[in-house]
Amino acid sequence: MPRKVAIVEDDFDQRENYADALQQSGYEVATYANRRDALAGMRKEMPDLAILDIMLEDEMDGGFDLCRDLRALSPTLPIIFLTARDTDIDRVSGLRLDAWDYLTKPLNMQFLSVRINSLFRIVDSLGQTANDESKSDTLVIDELEIDADSMSIRWQGKELSLTLTEFWLIESMARHPGHVKTYENMMQITRQSYVERNTINGYIRRIRNKFKEIDPDFKNIQTVFGVGYKWNSGE
Amino acid sequence: MRANFSIRTKLMLVALLLLLIPWMSYLYVRDMKSFLLSGQESALALTARAVATVLHDRPELFVDEQINLQDEEEEEDEEDGDNQEGSASSSANEAVEGQQQNGLKLEIDEEQELTSADKQNGSSSRQAGNEISAVPLPNYINLNGDLSDWGGLLSNPGATQLAEAPLSGLTVNHRLGYHGRFIYALFEVSDDTVILRSPGFLRVDAADHIRLTLQDPGQAPRRFTLIARENGRMSIYLMDEDWRYPITGDPNYDLAAEFKTTDRGYNVELRVPRFLLSSDTRIQMVVADVDNPDTLDVAALLPITPQTDADDATRVLVESPEIGKILTALNRDDTRIWVLDQSQGVQAVVGKIATEGFSYQRDRPIHRGDTLQHTLNLARYYYNTTLAYVFQFIIDTSASKLDEFEDSFDARNDKIIARALQGEISNDRRPSIDQQGTILMSAHPVYLGDSILGAVIVEQSTNQLLQQQQRLLENVISVTLLVLLTVVAAILLFASRLTVRIRRLRNATDNAIDRDGRIVAAKLSAEAKSRDEIGDLSRSVSNMLGRLSQYTSYLRGLPDTLAHEVSNPLNVVNSSLHNLSQEHPSIAGSKYLDRATNGVNRIGSILQNLTEAANLEQAMQRETREVFDLVELIERYVDGYSISNPTQKFDVVIHAQPLMIEAAPDYIAQVLDKLVDNAIDFAAPDTAIVFKVQKLNEYAQIDVINFGSSLPEGMSERIFEPLVSLGRKNAQKLRLGMGLYIVKLIASFHGGDVIARNLSGADGVIFSFSLPIYHRDFADAQ
Repeated sequence: MPRKVAIVEDDFDQRENYADALQQSGYEVATYANRRDALAGMRKEMPDLAILDIMLEDEMDGGFDLCRDLRALSPTLPIIFLTARDTDIDRVSGLRLDAWDYLTKPLNMQFLSVRINSLFRIVDSLGQTANDESKSDTLVIDELEIDADSMSIRWQGKELSLTLTEFWLIESMARHPGHVKTYENMMQITRQSYVERNTINGYIRRIRNKFKEIDPDFKNIQTVFGVGYKWNSGE
Repeated sequence: MRANFSIRTKLMLVALLLLLIPWMSYLYVRDMKSFLLSGQESALALTARAVATVLHDRPELFVDEQINLQDEEEEEDEEDGDNQEGSASSSANEAVEGQQQNGLKLEIDEEQELTSADKQNGSSSRQAGNEISAVPLPNYINLNGDLSDWGGLLSNPGATQLAEAPLSGLTVNHRLGYHGRFIYALFEVSDDTVILRSPGFLRVDAADHIRLTLQDPGQAPRRFTLIARENGRMSIYLMDEDWRYPITGDPNYDLAAEFKTTDRGYNVELRVPRFLLSSDTRIQMVVADVDNPDTLDVAALLPITPQTDADDATRVLVESPEIGKILTALNRDDTRIWVLDQSQGVQAVVGKIATEGFSYQRDRPIHRGDTLQHTLNLARYYYNTTLAYVFQFIIDTSASKLDEFEDSFDARNDKIIARALQGEISNDRRPSIDQQGTILMSAHPVYLGDSILGAVIVEQSTNQLLQQQQRLLENVISVTLLVLLTVVAAILLFASRLTVRIRRLRNATDNAIDRDGRIVAAKLSAEAKSRDEIGDLSRSVSNMLGRLSQYTSYLRGLPDTLAHEVSNPLNVVNSSLHNLSQEHPSIAGSKYLDRATNGVNRIGSILQNLTEAANLEQAMQRETREVFDLVELIERYVDGYSISNPTQKFDVVIHAQPLMIEAAPDYIAQVLDKLVDNAIDFAAPDTAIVFKVQKLNEYAQIDVINFGSSLPEGMSERIFEPLVSLGRKNAQKLRLGMGLYIVKLIASFHGGDVIARNLSGADGVIFSFSLPIYHRDFADAQ
């Protein structure tokens, strides 16, 4: 049974193109042009994943409001925000909206599919771990535990609340401790169409902050000025 | 070159216009003075006319002093065959002239005397001085001991003055009269023992005698002793101060006296020529009584003339009694009225010319303990002295004007008297004796039918007027000075405040926009609440800044907004291309699809670049700063860069280490990225990029130097503006000119700066990026 993806986007062309691309990838797609329709439609039939544009028709932050309403309906629904600016990501964090990922426009359709696939994998793996404890594809580096299936990361035994992109970035660094991940590498890893160094810097800043919430002395992600970042394993 | 006048200076210059007030007042007072003078003059002329009117056609009032000199001489000769007398009379001609001259000089001397007397006594009344009156005699007196020619005077008790010395039993009846050129005195002395001068005894005080003192103002008194050996002419000697010895042995022949014993004592008739006795001359007469024939001591000195504590001398008034009576009614303190007869003989004088209390000179105050009071006094003294100089200057000019057309007081007097006696009414002015005022004179003839009987001359000093003028000017000057000082102080204060306010506003305005033209403060706090024009200016500048900053933020947001708006259609194109290739796998490999995708990607990059600056500005607010060593960062940066770009060479020159700064290292690294990118773009192939790190003042400065090209003229500032770039080598490579703009943003955000300039020696460009050194931790790091 195909998974159902809801797309909320006020621009008809974009909305239909997304829908076409996702249908092509085998998903069942429901499209909405504004917040009220989307909420009403999704109340009737909950999708498996929602893609929300932030600005909806005349509502500047319509996407945020919708996200809040959806969270109330389903705390585990994977939500992807479409943002126009990097800074929107900070705003989402600031609003403590529990989004699973962000994508900056313009979108690359292939990357979108990849993301959606990954997110469904996470959903699936979360469902499995509840049943099967033994199975584990876990990478442990010192105090860092990376669960590749559920795409979750623990630091000092505590789980970090990460978006998909953040997971990918940490994982790529941690897989080769001491090796520099260049900006160019990391831009690839984010699987977004247009990424620049400041975008990466922003991701790393947010990642560090999340680690520091658990461990204020966290210093394992080191900046290699002019090149990129690397994971320092211990001392 | 134009001089720069501050508002303060200008206002001060304007305030100087206040100095016109005293000048204006001076002009006004001067005009007023001449107006008042002419008023005073006409008043004087009226007085003269009034007096003259009273005297018209009344010749009987005029005492006949028309002297036929010839007659007089004959008369003199007749009455007295004495040769000595003859010589005395022969000098009568001179005496007449002398007397006249004295008469005319009289008031002048009197002024002096009065002035000095007033200063001593503080009294302004002429009556304070001792006076005795000489009454007119009907005829000349023969000095022969016969009292019959004294006429009615003998029986007139009012004319007789009695002096008594009770101790020695001495009584003197004394009368004073005049006729013609002579003043006569009669002493009727009752003395129980009359002692005559013994022959061969040379002393002149060893017998009954009379002492006569004549004193002209300012001269030593002349003392005469009148003494007799027998009845008949007395010997008269000029004496020394002690009345003991004659100064010369020769008798005096100007005076003449007759001695005659009587039953009760003796009589003395004394004749004094009037030239010896000007109206200003003061006289003292004392009868000395010697009673003891053995010792010949002076037993008593009986003053005949009135004596007071202050003044033991007496003035003899010689005047026409009738006219005098008439004029007494007109007696005023500030006016003197002369009545002259046809021969310019003085018939009567009343009044005086007020000259008192008019002096510029003040005494320098003496220190008397109270320092504050003393200082005040001293200040007042210097102030007044300074004023006095000013006034003297003003007055002197007017006095010298008078001098210009008149050289002698007498000549002027004579002139108007002569005119009046010819029937003309004339006015004149002359400077007063003290040179500080002017005496106004008005002369009017006295008529007898068609002929002229005499003249009335009225004199008045302008001193009072002058004094008032003085006081007025003094007040005006003082008030003006005070006003000037106050106004200047106020203006200074006001101007200073204004200047301060304007400067504050200027500084605030200057600081509202930084060196790169960005608006730092959209609203000025300086003077924003003032209600005047400066406040208006401040508010309108604020208003302007507000609108400007709105516009600027619109402009700054424009690329971002544009990018945002373009991104949606771009997204459509992008996704459509993707869907197209999915839908038609046959065209998936088409080169046109590739190119279209490539173009879309480039547009995407451009949008990314355009939004980068805006994104960065927002992101920087969130970035946490840390303190780190800039040198270490640069070394690590160069190491890292060399790893990713092994072909690029770097020279790193460190002049100071460590250089602790507080910044977000990512952004500093980004600055280095942009600068290095830029340097590599413009460096000649195979040249090294030079990093120079040094400490300049309190700033850490990084110089990034590339060789091989230089900045075009005028680009070194503009290059940091958004969307300004220096052309490109590769058309495919994006060059929006945002990179250096971002460097500038980051520099400003960290309180630093970045400038670009061409190398002076070689072909190359140097970018200097400076950041403030972090202090507290810098000390810790040491």
